[in-house]
Formats: sequence, C-alpha cells, structure tokens
Amino acid sequence: MLELSGLSKHFGGVRAVDGVNLKVGRGDIVGLIGPNGSGKSTIVNLICGLFPPTAGNVLLAGKDITSLPTHIRVGMGIARTFQNIRLFGQLSVWQNLWVAQNSDQHRKDGSFLKRWLGAPGAARAEIDRTLEFFNLEKKRDELAANLSFGEQRRLEMARALAANPSLLLLDEPAAGMNAEEIEQLDERIRTLRKTGITILLIEHHMELVMAVTDRVAVLNFGQKIADGGPAEIQANPQVREAYLGSSNVK
Amino acid sequence: MDYLDFIDTIQSIADGVLFGATYALLGIGFTLIFGVMHKINLSYAAASIGAAYASLLILAGFKVPPAFVFVLSALCGGVIGGLVYWIGFKFIPLNNPLATLMSTLGLLLLIDEIVVHTTQGVPLAYPVLFSDVIIPAGPFNLRGDLIFVFMLGCICMVLLLLLIYRTRLGIATRAVSQQPVASALCGISTTRVNILTFVITGVLGGIAGAMIGAAIGMLSPLLALPLTVKGLIVCVIGGLGSIPGAILAGLLVGGLENLFQFWRGVSERDLYIMLLLFIFLVFRPGGLFATAPGRD
Repeated sequence: MLELSGLSKHFGGVRAVDGVNLKVGRGDIVGLIGPNGSGKSTIVNLICGLFPPTAGNVLLAGKDITSLPTHIRVGMGIARTFQNIRLFGQLSVWQNLWVAQNSDQHRKDGSFLKRWLGAPGAARAEIDRTLEFFNLEKKRDELAANLSFGEQRRLEMARALAANPSLLLLDEPAAGMNAEEIEQLDERIRTLRKTGITILLIEHHMELVMAVTDRVAVLNFGQKIADGGPAEIQANPQVREAYLGSSNVK
Repeated sequence: MDYLDFIDTIQSIADGVLFGATYALLGIGFTLIFGVMHKINLSYAAASIGAAYASLLILAGFKVPPAFVFVLSALCGGVIGGLVYWIGFKFIPLNNPLATLMSTLGLLLLIDEIVVHTTQGVPLAYPVLFSDVIIPAGPFNLRGDLIFVFMLGCICMVLLLLLIYRTRLGIATRAVSQQPVASALCGISTTRVNILTFVITGVLGGIAGAMIGAAIGMLSPLLALPLTVKGLIVCVIGGLGSIPGAILAGLLVGGLENLFQFWRGVSERDLYIMLLLFIFLVFRPGGLFATAPGRD
C-alpha cells in the first residue's frame, strides 16, 4: 500500500529523516514510534507532500507520488490528522466534513447546483454516518472553534475520514486525551480496521500502540532502528536504549 | 446650526453613504485576497478602473446599449484579475513578504500607464444611468444615479456573501484562509482557490469601477491612486480579512468623506479620513471586525 524507500529529509545540517525504508501492507495498522525529535512527524509530512524529501521515494499502491502536490495525493486516498489540531475553526462541524469530502466520489450524486450548495443524498448520509461514528451528531452546526478539546480531536479524525481514504495517517491522536477517551479511540481504530483501511499510527502512548497495531517501526535520530511485531519491539534492547538511555545507566 | 444647514449635512452624509458602496466593494476585494493569501494586492483599484476603461473601449467598438457597460466591466475585471494573479503572483516567491507588494505595485503603475497611453490621459465620459431621476424623501433629495449605484453594490455584496458562506466553493475559500495546510490535506487545491479568488474579486472590482464611473459621470487615470488608498483604508478600518467589516467601513468612509467635504471643503476632506485611519490604528488596530486568530 505505502512504501518508503531510502527516504531522507535534511534541514540544514540536521538529518531529520535519514534513509528510512518502510513498507505498509494493505489493511495493516502499523505503529511508528520513537523519542521526541526522532523524525516521526517529518515522515508523515513527507508522505503528505508538505515538503519535498532530500532523497528517496514515496510509493502509494505501487505508484511513485514523490513529486505530486498534496491535494493530488489526498485525491489518491491519503488522509491525515495533525498533532496540533488544525480544524477550520470558523466553519461548522458539518462544513468541516463537507469541505473535506472527495467531490469525485459524489460526481453522480444530485445535480451540479445541488452539490454546489450542499451535500445531496448519499454524500449527506455519509457525513451523518461519520458524525455519528465519532459521537458528534449533536454538534453538527456548532463552530469547530467552540468545541471542547476532546471533540476537536474527534472532529480531526472525522474530517480525515470524510474523503474515504485508503491510507490514514494519525499523528499522535491520543495526545492530551484521558484514559476513557483513549479507550474510545482504541475501539474506533479497531472498528476502522474492519473496513479495510490502512493506518499508520504515530503515537507516544505505548499501551495504545501495542494494543491496536500489527507491526511497529521505531525511529531514533531519523533512522529506523527496529521493525517488527509489538511484542518483539518491546523486547528489543536497542529500542529500550533509545527510550530509556543506554543500558549502563541501569 | 440652523435648519437648512442641518438638512444639508444629512444630505451630504446620505450621498456619501450611497457612494460608499463603491468603497465597500473595493475594500472587499482587498480584504478577500488578503484573507486567502495573506498578501496585499496593491494593483486592485487600478485594475478596477482599468476594467471600467476596457468596458468603455468595447462599448465604443460594438454598438451595445450603455446599460451593458456594467456587465462588460465585470467581465473585463474578471479577466484582468486572472492576469494580475498570473503576472504578479504565480512566478513570485510568496514566502518573501515584500515580493508581491513590489510586483503588485508594478502592476498598479503598469495598468495606470496603459490607461494613460490609450486615452492620452484625457478623462472620458462614462454612461450614467438614472441621472435624471431625483427621488424626494421629505426635505431630502436622493439622486437616482447614486441610488442605482448603491443598489447594485448591495446586490453584489449579497451575492458575494451567499457565494462565500453558502456554496462549496465559498466554504473551500474560507477553509484555505483559515488553515491553508489543512485545506490542502482535505484535497483542496490552494492554487485553484487563489486564482478563483482573484477572478471573483476582479469581477467585483470591475463592477466597482463601472459604479464609480457612473456615479462621477467620467473616468480619469487620476482615480486609481486615491481609490487604492481608500480601498486600503476601508479594509484596515473594517478589519483585514473581514467582509462584513469592509462593507460597513466602506459606507462609513463614504459618508464621513462627504460630510468632511461639506464642512471643510474638498481640499481638506482626505486629511480627516487619514486622521480616522490613524485613530483606528491606535485605538482599534484590529478594525471593526477583527478576524479570528488561529491561522497557521
């Protein structure tokens, strides 16, 4: 589904991402972890095309998308959430989803004018379903800026799903959430898995990562230091060292 | 102040507010482009006057009724708006804050020069509609041409507000102005929204240019610079990026300008408008409607 080959991004002398290879199969849920500043978010930005890589390629479903602009990649099925919430604050909850819907998917849905002035039929039902899934249906006409933090986090994910992506990049979706909210997030990710969507999950919250992912890749100083099943990663001495410092401290 | 003075004062304010609809349209143009791109398009007022001139040329070339001059001017404005984007923004590094300021300043001078060269700098008469209609309202007289200009301005503003707040295109435009990065990640092409904003504001400017021509009864290349200043003042007073702010500020500036002209004469009026701008910058720098923060 997604393949990164030799991906690098240097900011001046800083090697934020340094020759990372990563394969994510269709329908997989892959975790991407690593200490702060290890290059996780940079990788997500490279996959979305927010800036060009210094070297290497990004392949989506076998196609090289390295030089395509962001909105084209989104049209090809990539969606993401942001670590810092970036909703359209002055638009309503409903409008946040509407604007994110892929208009190509609803081309035959109602007349042009109807699609221009609102979401007809199937598109509307889809938005309603997504809002319900994220327990936001009562807030549909509220401005996004007026939502609580937890609701805004949910809306971020709802908006990312509005275009029916095949690959979802979640950039620290549990940041700032309490235990109950993380529980719900866990459940939602499990439900989403059944739809066949591929997820790349970047997260600090280890319990969540270990619970929902099939595979985990670990980054440190821009390089991939481990890649394997959750249990395998937890036992990996290199990973422990990256997180806890070198072993002689113990 | 005796009764007649009072009547005249109110009359001049009313005339000014009616003419202020043109300032409102210009202010909306500046403010919309600023909202979407966070850039000032200095050539906007000159382009609007240019569109009005272009409509006159077409009118002279083809035998069409003078009423069509507004439609022609709107179309020319849209084309010029697209050209301004293409010349002044497409190839210019947008992360340099001065680059587009210089390129649009250059375009302002260029458009001005083109107008001066094609008309030899002589003011041209502009078709005036409903100039012989005077609507008496109690002790006041409302000029038909000004009423027409005002109504046309209001219709444009209502249509624009519907476009921006009710249609998918408008919502996408607002999404880009609030979160450019996130909107690209919702599949919105920022470039396309930018171009469309230039074309739409161009159409608006073309109508504003024709309205100014129709209200004054003539067009002169000397209009471009003062209108640029007025448009910028309007969007600062209204709050950069706010459309309702630009509308209100446009009418306010129009009304006050005429009032100051009535009290202190035409040579002093702009002084007081500048003073008004100064007061706003000091005491309310965000303008009447400061736009919500939180843009990345």
